[in-house]
Amino acid sequence: MSAAAAAARPRPDEAAAGWPLLAVLAAAGLALLLVAQGQGAPGWYFDAFLLLALAAAGLYLPLVHRGEADLAQHTAAVERRAAEVERGIAEALQALEAGDLVTCAARAEALPGELAEAGLRATRSLVLLAQQIQTSSLEVAGAAHAVHQVASELAAGSSQQAASVVEITAAMEELARTAAQIADNAAAQADLALAAQQSGEAGAAAVEEALAGVEEVRRRIGGAAGRAEALGARSREIYRILDLITEIAHETHLLSLNAAVESAAAGAHGRRFATVADEVRRLAQRSQESVESVRSLLGEVAESIHATVVAGEEGSREAERVLEQARAAAAAIAALRQAATDSARVAREISLATQQQTAAADEVVLTLREVSQVVQKTAFGLRQFSHTADRLNRLGLEMQLLAQSFHVDSPHSLKHTVERWAQEVARSLHQWASLERLIEELAQERPFVECLYFIDGRDGHTALAVNRRLLGDREVPAAVRAGEGFTERPWYRAATEAGRTIITPLFDSLLTGAPIFTAATPLHDGGGRLLGVLGLDVNVENWTKI
Amino acid sequence: MSGRHLLVRAGTTVCALPVAAVRRVLRPLPLHPLPGAGPALRGLAEYAGEPLPVLDLARLLAAPPGGAAPCPVTVVAWAGEGAARELVGLAADAALAVVAELPDGVEPFDLTALAGGRA
Repeated sequence: MSAAAAAARPRPDEAAAGWPLLAVLAAAGLALLLVAQGQGAPGWYFDAFLLLALAAAGLYLPLVHRGEADLAQHTAAVERRAAEVERGIAEALQALEAGDLVTCAARAEALPGELAEAGLRATRSLVLLAQQIQTSSLEVAGAAHAVHQVASELAAGSSQQAASVVEITAAMEELARTAAQIADNAAAQADLALAAQQSGEAGAAAVEEALAGVEEVRRRIGGAAGRAEALGARSREIYRILDLITEIAHETHLLSLNAAVESAAAGAHGRRFATVADEVRRLAQRSQESVESVRSLLGEVAESIHATVVAGEEGSREAERVLEQARAAAAAIAALRQAATDSARVAREISLATQQQTAAADEVVLTLREVSQVVQKTAFGLRQFSHTADRLNRLGLEMQLLAQSFHVDSPHSLKHTVERWAQEVARSLHQWASLERLIEELAQERPFVECLYFIDGRDGHTALAVNRRLLGDREVPAAVRAGEGFTERPWYRAATEAGRTIITPLFDSLLTGAPIFTAATPLHDGGGRLLGVLGLDVNVENWTKI
Repeated sequence: MSGRHLLVRAGTTVCALPVAAVRRVLRPLPLHPLPGAGPALRGLAEYAGEPLPVLDLARLLAAPPGGAAPCPVTVVAWAGEGAARELVGLAADAALAVVAELPDGVEPFDLTALAGGRA
């Protein structure tokens, strides 16, 4: 029945009024038919039934059939719209899956009514979250890097400090040993000084005795000199007597000569007188000879006495000198004894002081050992701290890389940056020289760019530029400059296979050795054919400084 | 002249004076030097109240100085001959002895040749 078929269909607003009317007519017709069958009713019941059936058929066409056609048309439009919405939602979700929040927002915007608003709100929240995560992870990585650096420096300083403390401890131990040695030496010196003092006392006594002896010798020499003086005086008297005798002998000699002269004048009478005179002359001569002999002997005696006196005087002077020397020696010994006493006292004081010093040094060494342990623990702790900070830095960077998988409209979004640049590159593709210039300009634009390169997907031609502020004078290898094997690299494959921008994990740069990661985006023409890949090596340290 | 001589010494030279001419042997007399006198004349002395010229015997003999310890004497003797003879003093370093025989090498001194005080 058409009415049952119509009832099985969804009822649009336009057909809603027709169906109850048809149902009422059908029900009335059915009631009339049932009454006519049961009671053998008159013929007008059948006429009425037919009339009603005609009326229902007449009403069906305008009321139900047209409404149904309208409904089918409307349903097709609704289905088309639903398919569009479904596609829009799917595209938005695909963009979301790829982390492309910009595309996601564009797709969401195209959705109808509240769906668009809800999609935009959700995307905005995600963008905010991604930006927040990108910024925060950068800050975390930067802060962790700074902490790592400070902790590393502190650890290094602490290690150095520990080494210094060890050195100081060794020096203090050496000092303590030296002090103990000094104390021993000082004690030995004190003993020596005491012995020297005793020797000095014995020496002083000996010098005193020597002084007394020399004094006695001097006194005796003085006595001998006095006696020699007396002898000299006697000798002078003897000389005087001898002079007198000589005088007498001389006179006698002259007398005898005159007697001989007179006797000669007396002639023969004087001969005997001459003999006597000659005897007298001989006597006088012998007297003279004796006197000379005595004088000679006396001279020798006098010389001996003189020599004795001179020797005595020299002896006396010598004794005086010896006495002076002995007195000086006594004074020196006294001074020496005093010095030895002082030396012994000072040495004892030094010994005591150095013993105290040794004790103090030992205490210092003990304290230093404790300090050393503390410093070593500190150094160990700081190293662990440094490692933790390094790990935190790594985690921050990893989080940053995860956050960078979102493409948001922000300078902190690498995908955004590299795709914007890819658009500029695409505009320069027709002229390779201007493309190379562009690559060079872009490479210098941001400090975090270590290397920027475009690989032509059709012929493998490569335009490459490095950031000279990062590389300095380092040479770029010719193979790298020519982009040899770039199409085999994981980032190239990942970008071309995914057909969108990708971010690689962290790795060490071939050029600088510093940690970097690569953002690569593929370029396609209108037909979806690969034109090339734009790659960007990001220096992590500078990136975290943004 | 008898052979007896008085031996006197002047410097290292010993000479013999004839005893007959010798008047006296004296200790050296105090002398008064004469201005303008020759080198041999030592000066004037007083003997027995008379002035006595004293001659230097060493100068007269041209004797070299030296010899034994001096015991100076003045020998008063007659110089010259006859009426011209006069007393002179001869200053010698020593008067040795009166001898009868002259020892070897000792020459007699000729007093007669002396011009008293003007030698």
